[in-house]
Amino acid sequence: MTSRSDLVRIVAGREIGVKLRDKAFIASTVVFVLIIVAAIAIPALISGGTSTYTVAATAEARPVAEAAAAIGGADERPPGLPRADLTIVDTADPVAALGDESVDAAVSLDGGVVVLTGRTGVAGDVRNLVTAASSALAAQAVADEAGLTSDQVAALTSPPAPRVDTLEESPDFAVPPELLGMVFGFLFYFTVLTFGIAIAQSVVEEKQSRVVEILVAALPVRWLLAGKVLGNGIMAIGQVILIVGAGLLGAQLTGASDIVNQAIGASGWFLAFFVLGFFMLASVWAVAGSLAARVEDLQSTTLYVQLAVMIPFFASVFLLEESPARRVLSYVPLSAPLIMPGRVASGDAAAWEPWVALAIVAATAVALVGVGARLYAGSVLNTSQRMKVVGAWKAGKGR
Amino acid sequence: MNDSTLSIRGLTHSFGDRRALDGVSFDVRPGRLTGFIGANGAGKTTTMRAVVGVMRPDAGEVTFGGAPLTLEVRRRIGYMPEERGLYPKMRVADQLVYLGRVLGVDKAEAERRAHALLEDLGVDDRADDVLHTLSLGNQQRVQVAASLIHHPDLLILDEPFSGLDPIAMDAMAERLRERAAAGVPVLFSSHQLDLVERLCDDLVLIHQGRIVAAGEAQALREERAGRRYRVAVDGSPTWRPDLIGATVLEADARGTVLELDEATDPQAVLAAAQAAGPVTHFSRALPSLSDLFAEVTR
Repeated sequence: MTSRSDLVRIVAGREIGVKLRDKAFIASTVVFVLIIVAAIAIPALISGGTSTYTVAATAEARPVAEAAAAIGGADERPPGLPRADLTIVDTADPVAALGDESVDAAVSLDGGVVVLTGRTGVAGDVRNLVTAASSALAAQAVADEAGLTSDQVAALTSPPAPRVDTLEESPDFAVPPELLGMVFGFLFYFTVLTFGIAIAQSVVEEKQSRVVEILVAALPVRWLLAGKVLGNGIMAIGQVILIVGAGLLGAQLTGASDIVNQAIGASGWFLAFFVLGFFMLASVWAVAGSLAARVEDLQSTTLYVQLAVMIPFFASVFLLEESPARRVLSYVPLSAPLIMPGRVASGDAAAWEPWVALAIVAATAVALVGVGARLYAGSVLNTSQRMKVVGAWKAGKGR
Repeated sequence: MNDSTLSIRGLTHSFGDRRALDGVSFDVRPGRLTGFIGANGAGKTTTMRAVVGVMRPDAGEVTFGGAPLTLEVRRRIGYMPEERGLYPKMRVADQLVYLGRVLGVDKAEAERRAHALLEDLGVDDRADDVLHTLSLGNQQRVQVAASLIHHPDLLILDEPFSGLDPIAMDAMAERLRERAAAGVPVLFSSHQLDLVERLCDDLVLIHQGRIVAAGEAQALREERAGRRYRVAVDGSPTWRPDLIGATVLEADARGTVLELDEATDPQAVLAAAQAAGPVTHFSRALPSLSDLFAEVTR
């Protein structure tokens, strides 16, 4: 006889095959991956690049332009000044210089006043750099007249930035850990909800089409359940790894390696909680499916499971700051997968805390799989009507 | 008892207050087609579901070849549920292969058999179509293929002929005879009594959860034939005997059906008929299956 693991594998294989042929599933995965990549790549591209400008300068204004270029090109700039590459071209007439499309702005002097000429306006970077250069030059001129040394001038024109001292050392994060926790929480919520509904649907479809009678005549109900949960679990974990991986790859490619390191460190716990949390709820979803007689019944039979996923998710969103409630909920099985990885990421959890929470989730998963299997066995063959939990529990005895 | 007889003993089951099965016992013998007949709600489907293990009866025992129906034995059953059972959104060949694999056939072999069965049943051109795009009759043929994919040692088919056109019905009957000839016990239920009459070696009649008749079809009919005779006299279609002790039940172009009293000698009836003209037909009138059915369910 075909072995138990083979049968579970065959059932799981069908679930996976169905998912892989499901256009909606593929489309949602692709969209999700694109959103994640875009969310990481776009800010990195916006903040990461150095702007370049071409500035035309009259002969007398050339020192101002050169000083602006020096400030924009320096690694250490006074606070508030942007980094920018300024290319200076000579011109006699600022207006004529703008006839050249490659020139962004022109600098000239009008009786000692620096004039910036642009077509419809002047880029903020250029304006800020020229303003800073002009005031530095003005200060230099005044200082020269007063006979100050160049060090004194430097101290005057670019005073040292204040040193920042903190009483407690805060960990250095590339992205806010709250955001990372929220992204993980949302991934868990989204995946458990979509795959949970998919499991419930797959169960009720077998019931409604009566395939389940043929299957149950040929293999024990619990193996069928195991195959279903396993198949969908593999797809759910695969989808999450794909999304997280795409995000990390996106961050790596845009040079945000500090984000990558921070996220990889937190992903381990997230995945551990994700896997156990998923399997904890998967059999409950299967029961919600098997209590229904038709697809239309799912709305009502899955209501409580949906709430059991949604309420902890919203609690986790509202409890981003460490608080006693957040601490307690990070141990409650339904909310632990949503909150504990976030607490680890933000450094709020002691080293032993995730282990304890994980053990609680694991124990709950074992208990719920046991209860779920019995309820499933007791209700999946009752194809005629919607079942109540109590009836399913009684009917599932010994199956 | 032969090694592969399906024995059903004392199956009893209630749904709430309603007793659906009441001590149902009968055998399905190898190499024979057994027809399972009963009115709607008589207990046919419940019995079959209990045999394949989809439902657990309150009491009773089912054995196959003397052994209880463990999972391993149940996996050798080809089962067609009453309300059918296939994935509507899965492709025809894919689901046959899947069910075959669930039932222990390896993938390549399941693919080969799926195509052979579909060809046999005349739906091989739909192998790559999604099931629900097929007509009900064609879905039914796929269902038949599904029950045969693992070369079962026992066939339990709930209404396998319903929804089939005459051609598919013949193909189906042919498959069942083939299996029976190979030594497989075949139990199937049907409402089409003429078909069962034509096809079955053995009959089981169930009425309100009780078996009212079971055994060889011919023997059952003879048993209930009593002293009924059909006589046809050439040129005299409505011939009536001038005999005391014989009641005319009906008389039409096919002859006259008589019910003889205990004391009346059939040979005397024959002699009287011969006196009236050349006798073209003289036989015991076996009740048709519908007569039998009407009688036992009365």
